[in-house]
Amino acid sequence: MVNLTINGKVVQAEEGEVLLSVIRREKIDVPALCHHEAVEAFGACRLCVVEITRQEWDGWCDYVTSCLYPASDGLIVNTHAAKVNDLRKTIVDLFLARHPKCPEIIELAAEYGVYSTTYQTVVDGDNCILCGLCTRICDRMGFHAISTVGRGHGKEVSPPLHKAPPDCTGCLACAQNCPTSFIEYSAAKGFLTIWDKKFELLKCSGCGKETITKVFAEHLCQERKIPFEYFQICDECHRKQLAATMGEITSWDREAAS
Amino acid sequence: MNHDLSKLPGIFDRYPKHQQSLIAVLQDIQKEYQFLPCEALEETARVLDVPLSKVFSVSTFYNAFSLHPRGEKVLRVCVGTTCHIRGAAQIQEQLESQLNIKAGETTPDLKFTIETVGCVGACAKAPVVIVNERYYGPVKVSDYKKLLRGK
Repeated sequence: MVNLTINGKVVQAEEGEVLLSVIRREKIDVPALCHHEAVEAFGACRLCVVEITRQEWDGWCDYVTSCLYPASDGLIVNTHAAKVNDLRKTIVDLFLARHPKCPEIIELAAEYGVYSTTYQTVVDGDNCILCGLCTRICDRMGFHAISTVGRGHGKEVSPPLHKAPPDCTGCLACAQNCPTSFIEYSAAKGFLTIWDKKFELLKCSGCGKETITKVFAEHLCQERKIPFEYFQICDECHRKQLAATMGEITSWDREAAS
Repeated sequence: MNHDLSKLPGIFDRYPKHQQSLIAVLQDIQKEYQFLPCEALEETARVLDVPLSKVFSVSTFYNAFSLHPRGEKVLRVCVGTTCHIRGAAQIQEQLESQLNIKAGETTPDLKFTIETVGCVGACAKAPVVIVNERYYGPVKVSDYKKLLRGK
């Protein structure tokens, strides 16, 4: 364990643990768009920038992305120093220039007092900030269905060959973890469509509600050795079933006791 | 589009069947076919056991790789600073109007492709045009015939 100071408070952290996880544990609000506990830190959005210094640095300080910087003994961290706020303001300003219509970016920018960008606005821009969280999460899920394609101005997130991705199972991990809700999907009449690929949805045998895609359920059955029946019923019905089962067990117990 | 993929096994045999061979394999395929056919990308992914998305990501990242068929003659017009000052834009324009295609495109008969490149490190010869592997410079606008004919 190491001792470090965050905003004046001495806190403990594991040696090598990244600053952002210590900061989050201390319930300090530091913005980050590209971060997710499930995947390796990437440092793409730069918003989690913090000021660091040490006693022996003699007043000198550095500005680092807290999602990548490891905690160490004697480190003094300031998450909301004036310079840090300035840096974040510049970052959200740049984001706003590229994604002027993105609700998440507009909201974040407003928190930093940026209501219109000071840079030239990208007129035909989309809402993808190219943080690559979707592709990293897809890799983590083990599907590797999407990746970043091209580079520079033309860079984008896309399935291979710009066609419906063969390895996609419609798990929706990409879309539901996208910090700017850019990845579109639609579910209607028992089918889910994402990345131009159509998937059959399973229906809960209890209430008829649509649950996950059949392909994803089959994948989980195979990889995680979960019986397929588990996916034929939704979570709510599972709980109802469980309550009923518990009632039965209690009555058995009562019978056994008497 | 179907392409003769019979040369692929020979290329795969040159390298260990490992993710690390990806760029080397793609370079050899590019050299063999002048571009990367989709089927070849799929085959590479299968043989090297690399996700297709990663193969696609790498092959779109590097300018050395092309996903579209390129002409027998690839005319690379250097538009780096020195060449720019010495009239690269006019040379590009002349070649584009002669072949009736824009930079980055290929003639329908697959004879010529025009590309622009940053700097090729031959500023002393600016403006430079590279036809396949051969460097020409300093090039004049009126030299277009020589460039289109040249080997």
